[in-house]
Amino acid sequence: MNIDLQTKNIVKTKLEQRGNEYKIKAPVTGSVVLNNAVVASFGDGSLRFFGLNQEPFEVKAHKGVILTMSSNGQFVYTGGDDGKFLKISCDGQINEIYNFGSQWVDCVASTENYFACSSGKKAYLWVKDDSKPLIMDNSSTVGGLSFDLDGNKLAVSSYGGVTVWQRGDRRWKSSRFVWKGSHGKVTFSPDGKYLVSAMQENEVHGWRIRDKIDLAMAGYPAKIKSFTWAGNTPFLVTSGASEAICWPFDGKEGPLGRKPTCVANGGKQNATFVENLPQENAVFAGFQDGSVVLSEIDETKKSYLVRNATGSEVTAISISNDKSHILIGDAMGNILWSPLWAGDN
Amino acid sequence: MQTVEQVPVTVLTGFLGAGKTTLLNRILTENHGRKYAVIVNEFGEQGIDNDLVVDADEEVFEMNNGCICCTVRGDLIRILGGLMKRADQLDAIIVETTGLADPAPVAQTFFVDQDVADKTKLDAIVTVADAVHLNSQLGKHHEAEEQIAFADVVLLNKVDLVDEKGLENVKARIKKINPYAKIIKTTRCAAPLDEILGLNAFSLKRVLEVEPDFLESDHDHDHDDDVTSISFVSETPLNMNKFQTWFGNLLQTHGQDILRSKGILNFAEKDERYVFQGVHMLMDASPMGPWPKNAERNSRVVFIGRNLENMGLQEGFEGCKS
Repeated sequence: MNIDLQTKNIVKTKLEQRGNEYKIKAPVTGSVVLNNAVVASFGDGSLRFFGLNQEPFEVKAHKGVILTMSSNGQFVYTGGDDGKFLKISCDGQINEIYNFGSQWVDCVASTENYFACSSGKKAYLWVKDDSKPLIMDNSSTVGGLSFDLDGNKLAVSSYGGVTVWQRGDRRWKSSRFVWKGSHGKVTFSPDGKYLVSAMQENEVHGWRIRDKIDLAMAGYPAKIKSFTWAGNTPFLVTSGASEAICWPFDGKEGPLGRKPTCVANGGKQNATFVENLPQENAVFAGFQDGSVVLSEIDETKKSYLVRNATGSEVTAISISNDKSHILIGDAMGNILWSPLWAGDN
Repeated sequence: MQTVEQVPVTVLTGFLGAGKTTLLNRILTENHGRKYAVIVNEFGEQGIDNDLVVDADEEVFEMNNGCICCTVRGDLIRILGGLMKRADQLDAIIVETTGLADPAPVAQTFFVDQDVADKTKLDAIVTVADAVHLNSQLGKHHEAEEQIAFADVVLLNKVDLVDEKGLENVKARIKKINPYAKIIKTTRCAAPLDEILGLNAFSLKRVLEVEPDFLESDHDHDHDDDVTSISFVSETPLNMNKFQTWFGNLLQTHGQDILRSKGILNFAEKDERYVFQGVHMLMDASPMGPWPKNAERNSRVVFIGRNLENMGLQEGFEGCKS
């Protein structure tokens, strides 16, 4: 924490001085980028849209917790514990895609052409303008959903591994990536060559898609709740330790046999959320006490405290498309929405 | 850092037809002014009249943490995580398990998953048993024995349908498996809710408060009960190193057969009381302050499990004396 030794007051960070703070009476459950706005979701079922030149506005979307959210740049897709899968436009128009009744909608994913959600053991995939979803059965509850950058592959994680569905000429074909244990949040590397999942155990697991070679990234003190791809290398940056743990995915074998770069130290606590600074080799790491540290992915460089502790774990960080603004949210409903750079306000 | 109060979670077990749904309905309809969430697996004939009922599949996951019997309830981790994101705080959460479920993975979830352990706490395992059928169920299904073995409270239901002798029989049977469980006799599960919820049975402090109802030196195994309990008392102080070595080894080699263990320990070299309690291989232990004045300093341990007679428990425990 940044403390002025003369006055013993907490010194506001530059971002806190420049930005606006909001206290919402519900936990922030996530945030996504939509056009030039950032949309945050909450535990009371509401969404709040933070735009560049306007006051934030609220949309009541779900009756309960918004459990999951995705953006394809045009629409936000949300899933809630009210069983609803919704599509919401940038002006806040709500379109109900599907109602699962008493079953929760646990995961959603979207791309330009397709969108998907999961409820229980089934994943549902919608092709644009097609009202009937393709249903993908799993032997256990779906833990994560993710499209690759091209939008032609959908990864569905569950207990025992990840199933990748690929669009063929006529139908979607599946391929299974096996690793013992329960798999949650899942992602493809930006070049589409690797598949990575966060596990119930304190580790992330990766596969090279071409030959399914396993990449076990273990040794974390806590469960990995968040990861992001950063820089040109690129690095897979993960939470779950007292620093942002950055695994290199360049070369032929990615992180195989290599050590991660560890930056943005948070002291005696673990990172709960990480987000890349777009087009830069840098990452924001949010911690259990609500503080956020920015660092280049270079262990020799100094890191910067951009957000003081709030007393509650960081659950959301998003940078607007034009890189002008940042949103930071925590589990007590504290939001900071601030210009990233001095003079941009 | 802000400390958030952990929401207590009560686990409700019991064989089909014992009266779990009746109890759930009572909890949810009684005017208690509290907000509960109920996680259910089997929808009975009777609907449950509350909007906070969550559907779950009992998904038991093995954890790759080197512990061979470490299984957790994956669905519970997911659902508790979701419930903790609600804008309104819950007063308690009740998890119903299916009639044939082993309670161990549910209990272990609270030891193994850090998020679950940070935000919620296991309050108690409450087993609803049918006074008429429990005896025959115990012989036939090992799940019934496990549900009794894990219980902090046994709600012995339908007592109006058995005579006094039958009731004494079934009570003795329960006590033999689990001397720690509190038995509440009811008809239609009409027990006061404060004897079922908010018990804090898994806190180490509670181990100090509950005196087990020991059956006097009755350690013969003349019947077909698979799960039994053994307890030891020692007036001689124990040696901490010896105890840790023996106990660690015991849980490693026999953790699968030891369903629950509890104890209060008097170490020769320590002024404080040490308390532990475990579920299979997983254990929680801590010093719990000085011995009360005028109280006898002695060590007491209880094991509930299978094949306890083959573990050399008596010799092992004796060997820890300093």
